[in-house]
Amino acid sequence: MKKLLLPVLLLLPLPVHALTVVATLPSLAAIAKQVGGAQVQVESLTSPHQDPHYADAKPSLIVSLNRADVLVVNGLDLEVGWLPPLLLQSRNARIQKGAAGYVDASQAVRLLGVPKGPIDRAMGDVHPGGNPHFLLDPRSGARVALLVAKSFAKADPPNAATYQQNASALAASLDALAATTTAQFAQIPAERRRIVVYHDSLTYLVDWLGVKQVATLEPRPGIAPSPQHVAEVLQVIKSQNVKVIAQEEFYPKNTGKTLAGLAHGALAVLPGGADFPTETYAVHIKNVAQALRAGL
Amino acid sequence: MLRIILSRRTVGSSLLLASLMFLTLPAIALALPEAPTDAAAMAELEAALAADASAAVEDVPPVADSSLMPKMALIFDGTAAWFSDRDNLQAGGHDPYRTGFNLQQLELHLESNVDPYLHMQANIVWGKDGVELEEAFAQSTALPWNLQVRAGKFLTPFGRLNPTHPHAWSFVDAPFALTKMLGPDGSRGLGTEVAWLAPLPWFLEVRAAASHPDAETGRSFAGEDGKTVGTLYDLLWTGNLRQFFALTDDWSLYVGVSEQQGTGPNREADTTQLYGADVYLRWRPVDDADRLAVSLQAEGLYRRRSWSGQQLNDWAGYAQVVADLNPHWQVAVRDEQGSGVQDDPLDPLWTGHRQRYTAQVTWFPSHFARIRLQGSADIPSWRDQPIFAGMLALETVIGAHGAHAY
Repeated sequence: MKKLLLPVLLLLPLPVHALTVVATLPSLAAIAKQVGGAQVQVESLTSPHQDPHYADAKPSLIVSLNRADVLVVNGLDLEVGWLPPLLLQSRNARIQKGAAGYVDASQAVRLLGVPKGPIDRAMGDVHPGGNPHFLLDPRSGARVALLVAKSFAKADPPNAATYQQNASALAASLDALAATTTAQFAQIPAERRRIVVYHDSLTYLVDWLGVKQVATLEPRPGIAPSPQHVAEVLQVIKSQNVKVIAQEEFYPKNTGKTLAGLAHGALAVLPGGADFPTETYAVHIKNVAQALRAGL
Repeated sequence: MLRIILSRRTVGSSLLLASLMFLTLPAIALALPEAPTDAAAMAELEAALAADASAAVEDVPPVADSSLMPKMALIFDGTAAWFSDRDNLQAGGHDPYRTGFNLQQLELHLESNVDPYLHMQANIVWGKDGVELEEAFAQSTALPWNLQVRAGKFLTPFGRLNPTHPHAWSFVDAPFALTKMLGPDGSRGLGTEVAWLAPLPWFLEVRAAASHPDAETGRSFAGEDGKTVGTLYDLLWTGNLRQFFALTDDWSLYVGVSEQQGTGPNREADTTQLYGADVYLRWRPVDDADRLAVSLQAEGLYRRRSWSGQQLNDWAGYAQVVADLNPHWQVAVRDEQGSGVQDDPLDPLWTGHRQRYTAQVTWFPSHFARIRLQGSADIPSWRDQPIFAGMLALETVIGAHGAHAY
């Protein structure tokens, strides 16, 4: 029996990482990897090219969640369509809500789009806690990095100082990136810093860059554009001389392309998330800002 | 002789399942914080707990925080239907069954964490026969050894479609394979279940459940009139093994095998075994902005009954292809087939082969509503004429819209 066991043990991979981390979004995974460095192994549950509202609840994700020491979620119900049953079946008490390994990134950031009054489904797919797309502002990313470091420090105290140093350095560089990019956009005349968006997902981006969102192609969040509404948006585009229709890559592009053609402008297709693991969060943010600026 | 062998086999696997259940009891104890062994420390802890308990009573706010309300959803399914024959063969509890207007269901779904160790869910359904508690169970969230235990009233883990509710179905009515063999309301009952996730690089889950068979929800076991449960062997025992393979980012394969066994209506003499296999192959290009997806789903069931000295063996199954073209349009086709036996006490008229073809097209005005147009041709070999049906079904959802299982 012992003779049999030894080769089997040799085949088992050695635990080289102190923490196993799972993030729902690739941008969160990229932040977590930079905070954790070589001490953590990070996996993203979704691809940067897919709409995180509508991922499939694949059972393979249960396996990933089952092994995680820390789970980083975006929060504000962005993942409500697929994450809850996976988390329930993960059989992992470390990452359930309320446990130290459950990190809700939205808890760290300044929120926009929080409904002021009572909400109703007739208003569309409104997120009751606020607009969940805060990762498009690097200042939010910086706050998330600090929150992630706190959680890593709790889960792996021997490396706590490393996590905190990594997070502080990342937060400082993201804040610096935010300031320099804002300054670049400020040089563009205000009348050109106007865009039309597809979904209300660029709220934090326009807030950060001092860009004005003059209209939304979806008449209400999650409700597809109707011909009448698009005609109204076209009037707004013409009267305000808007040149850019902006949207993330995972929303339908036909309406945006047609409108951009009619307005003699451009459709700016923004990357959906950091292309983890090859791309850092900062590079992703630079690419987003670049894609937007190119059209203005 | 055959019956003796069968019942021995039943006893063997039932004992195995029963011991699995008992194995989980120490696991529950392990999940709770470890008890201190020092008597003095214990006394100190008890005093502190007592003090906290009396303080907590005084600190309770007069009104509960509204955010602690369970997630709640109300789902309505209603249909305008037409049948070419008034005497049609619709057998499902949620199936439209008459020409004119049909209430399929109004389902109230509630769920919430109970505490850090348990989750609870309930489905209360208003249907054509009144109000019924369809499901109500608690599920563990913090057991060791990759175990998860459910207890309460639940749909048994047999196959792919049985554990789901009409909101998750791709057709207006249930496949006849399920209504014939599992019952008009599917296979469900009061009981307990253990589910184990294998520590493998891919998803492999094994479930074992024991539940109380009733006439409506376990007809292959309890018969049409029901039966009494005398021993553990009279319970309905369900086993299920599922595996999921993420073939690529876009292609996934989900397969399962199931088994159910128990005694028949005459519990001293009758036994029933049900075997099932299911497959779900899905193609969804992960970066498609229109959320295009095409899936193939098939389930087959084989039933062996030794009832009143007779050996009755039959089979039934379905295969369906569903295409989600974009967030607003879906089309699907289904082929169902099944055999029949002479002198079946459950379906005396169903003596031969039956086939039904169904096609549907669905429009989703939003994520929370759907309008489904469905047509079918039912061809039972024991009837002179096929039975044609047309249905226009409306579903609306208010409240929390829970995630769908894969």
